[in-house]
Amino acid sequence: MIFEKRTERIIVPMFFMVALFAPLFLESNSFFVGKVTTIIILSIFVMSLDFLVGRVGLITLGHALFYGMGGYLFVILSPEYEAVNFWVYTLYICSISALIALVTGAMILRTKGVYFLMITLALSQMMFYYFFDSLEYGGGDGMFIFVRPETSIFGLSFLDLDDPQHFYYLALFSLFNTLVFFKVVLRSRFGRVVEAAKQNPDRTEALGYNIFAFRLTCYVIGSALGAYAGFLFALQFGFVNPSFFTWEMSGMALVMSILGGSGTIYGAILGTFTYEGLQYFFEHLTKEWLLFMGSAIILMVILLRKGIAGYLEKLLEK
Amino acid sequence: MNKLKIYFVTIVLGFFMSMASNAALASSEIKIGVMQPLSGLYAGPGRSGLDGFLLALKGYANNSHQNSIDVITLDTEAKPARAPELATSLLIQHNADFIFGPAHSGVAMGMIKVLRGKDTVMVIPNAGAAAATGSLCAPNIFRTSFSSWQPSYPMGKVALDKGYKDVYLISWNYGMGRESLEAFEESFEAGGGNVVKKVLIPFPSTNFQPYISDIAAQDPDAVFVFFAGGGATKFVKDYDAMGLRGKIPLLGSGFLTEGTLEAQGEAAEGVLTTLHYAEQLDVPKNLEFRETFHAEYGHYPDIYAVQGYDAGQAIINTINLLNGDVSDKQAVIDTMEKLTINSPRGDFTFSRAHNPIQNIYLREVKDGVNVVKSLAAEALEDPARGCQL
Amino acid sequence: MQTILRTPKSAAISLGNSMTTELFFVQLINGIQYGLLLFLIASGLTLVFGVMGILNLAHGSMYMVGAYLVWYFFGVTGSFTVSAVLSALIALALGILIERVLIQRLYNRNHLDQVLLTIGMIFVFNSLQSILFGNDPYGVAVPDALSGSIPFTDNSSYPIYRIFAALICVAIAGLLYYVVSHTRLGMLIRAGESNREMVEALGVNIKVLYTTVFALGVMLAAGSGIIASPMSSIVPGMGESVLITCFVVVVIGGLGSIKGAFVGALLVGLVSTFSAVLLPSISNMIIYISMILVLLVKPQGLCAK
Repeated sequence: MIFEKRTERIIVPMFFMVALFAPLFLESNSFFVGKVTTIIILSIFVMSLDFLVGRVGLITLGHALFYGMGGYLFVILSPEYEAVNFWVYTLYICSISALIALVTGAMILRTKGVYFLMITLALSQMMFYYFFDSLEYGGGDGMFIFVRPETSIFGLSFLDLDDPQHFYYLALFSLFNTLVFFKVVLRSRFGRVVEAAKQNPDRTEALGYNIFAFRLTCYVIGSALGAYAGFLFALQFGFVNPSFFTWEMSGMALVMSILGGSGTIYGAILGTFTYEGLQYFFEHLTKEWLLFMGSAIILMVILLRKGIAGYLEKLLEK
Repeated sequence: MNKLKIYFVTIVLGFFMSMASNAALASSEIKIGVMQPLSGLYAGPGRSGLDGFLLALKGYANNSHQNSIDVITLDTEAKPARAPELATSLLIQHNADFIFGPAHSGVAMGMIKVLRGKDTVMVIPNAGAAAATGSLCAPNIFRTSFSSWQPSYPMGKVALDKGYKDVYLISWNYGMGRESLEAFEESFEAGGGNVVKKVLIPFPSTNFQPYISDIAAQDPDAVFVFFAGGGATKFVKDYDAMGLRGKIPLLGSGFLTEGTLEAQGEAAEGVLTTLHYAEQLDVPKNLEFRETFHAEYGHYPDIYAVQGYDAGQAIINTINLLNGDVSDKQAVIDTMEKLTINSPRGDFTFSRAHNPIQNIYLREVKDGVNVVKSLAAEALEDPARGCQL
Repeated sequence: MQTILRTPKSAAISLGNSMTTELFFVQLINGIQYGLLLFLIASGLTLVFGVMGILNLAHGSMYMVGAYLVWYFFGVTGSFTVSAVLSALIALALGILIERVLIQRLYNRNHLDQVLLTIGMIFVFNSLQSILFGNDPYGVAVPDALSGSIPFTDNSSYPIYRIFAALICVAIAGLLYYVVSHTRLGMLIRAGESNREMVEALGVNIKVLYTTVFALGVMLAAGSGIIASPMSSIVPGMGESVLITCFVVVVIGGLGSIKGAFVGALLVGLVSTFSAVLLPSISNMIIYISMILVLLVKPQGLCAK
């Protein structure tokens, strides 16, 4: 089975069961649906980051580059007042992002550790400045997406992206697929090489594997999925802004993935929901919510050695 | 172990339920959502605006009406990425009748995307983005602050009147900065002025030293800038430290000396600015407002507080005129449009694009205070380029 | 009279922006002075990473703490010197406290946990700044003794305080160099940088060493905040903006190398200053471009071990 740990086999189905049926009980309340949609989309982004950071060992502070690209590519490529096809544009956006990842990755994957971290940060900051300074793409104020794409395949369409509930299910479906995809990849022979490369690069190289090629492939995959998440994020409210590219966005995703449990993949869901939940809770409590948020993070790092997933595993694994 | 499973499921469900249960129930309360930056770089203007706003609301509470006002406050952190989500929460979860905010233009754009044409009225107490009352104007969007064009446009004529022929322009490369410099250029060049150099530096860099050295080398007749907050403080201090104060006149959009005079100290003496307000403006409402604000908060208000206060006044006056019934949003809009706001900056009305038609004052810093020297422009209306209203 | 004098200059100006020797010289001094200040901040970061292996993302917050403290005490005492000393002492105490209470727990944890902890610390510090000191932009007046300027053109003069600040940075750099190369502490620092386990095995009290080094790092950051305060504006978020530049400096110079931080800082200072006037449209990206170029040629930084 692709879910090796018992904890995963409990937590993951539980989450998807609740998430699947929740909107039906609360259907009149589309705020709740929208809020959870946002968190689900963010989870996809965090999950792709967790794959790169936790499994491949590429600690990046520039993942937001692809998150922003997802939205901006759509704005750049699509006509302003016409509904295009969602699946076709997903393909375009993921392919172009993959290409960007391929080219930049080939350059930067030669560096390691903090140097790699800084280069990824630099690249995403540069993209931020490019769009912030641009006059054609809305500059610092950002741009609107006026018409959402339609979702027909061979003329048949089930989803209306303007309906918050449909959008919710698209996001949830995407999250599920992303999780399964990563699990399958990691269980495969390819995944085992990646794991080996992280644990002992020299020995893996000695066995004849081209680590660079494996890492680059993972970087491309992770980035393309991050871009897909960014595309969904932009579509949800129809708004893109250069702030989607900043290191603060990358940093927040990194915090969520570490909080959830680095490398567990499903931990990304736990970390994102916990972080967003805590912020929601503290924000409605006090103006000085940042103080509580920071303290909560500090406490969790000190107490939960392997993140929330790690803690749950300690409880549930026998 | 089984207990744990149950426990966990309960927590997860409880989480979802608690979010859902925050859904507003129908009530006769008037709901006002607040989206202001309460943390981060814009926290100063954000909190100041909120203070002014709450002061205006206090006036309403003292009037014992049938409907109470419920204020829901959200911290935008001046982050555009969260703006649509927060605005949606106020609109749909809380059913806000009015939404007050924001300070930051990027956040305003995110909010406008969600709120434009919807069943609520948005009143902007600061964000100066031209589009809000320009290409993206909408009947349910009002602004009680300014458009980026308004404070800077009159300075062009002031510069010409003073005989300045060659002016060096510098600001940050973002919406407000660009639009301010363009507004100055518009009136200055129309009167025959020559812009020696226009420099847009990366936002929010405060590494001004190289540019001030450049200004000294270029030796223009005057310099016109837009900077605000910390950048304004630093620029004025650096300008003075390099010995340019008094040698090359420094002109600015009013934010250069708003909320920054204490930090700038003597370096700000003699700086000329244009703005729709000045703390010593000789308008009865201003003196009254300043004292009331000081009595409530222990310090004197700044421009952001005035703008927030006026937004509050606009909302309160509308509620009063409608006798507390704000269910018909068209009636709300019609009422608000016709208001004359008795503001500490002088009375103003709303243009067709819902931006204030207001006086712009020429101020000079003397003894640590912005002294009003003259009226730079009377009842100036933003051209609202691109607005379809 | 004045109009006649000005017209020829206007004509010259409109012919294009050629950099005069005057301007070049001024920008050179600007760049060096900025670089020296960057060195002060960056040295603390690289020292802590080099010896302890800890990536302290809250380093920028320490810079902010120094600036806010000196502003606060200046308001109370009216004396810059007294405020500076008080702020430095409090920063020292804070450094020791943080190291003892929080950082110590992370010695054996991985880099990611350090990132998470120090980000949490950034939130806490930013929030405390807002609660304790407020969010308006603040300034500290240049101490009277240093408030003059040296005139060098008809229009402009160079502020003495900036020269003084540059000299102080050089002095501290010199002191740091002396400590690292000629004292026992310095020897332990150099040893710890190259082989931490060996130092422990040799019976050195690693805990005391680490606390000392961390506190030193905090003081360097807070100290630069104090020195820079009369030249900068004290605003929320000032820590984060300095942090990124700091990282670029440290990476260009080579992590863990103080000499590298010096070289990197001067490079970044000069490049930012000159690009600001010569290439304003990409000046915000120029330090990133420079960093990428350096890393492509020397993937471990310029002065890497």
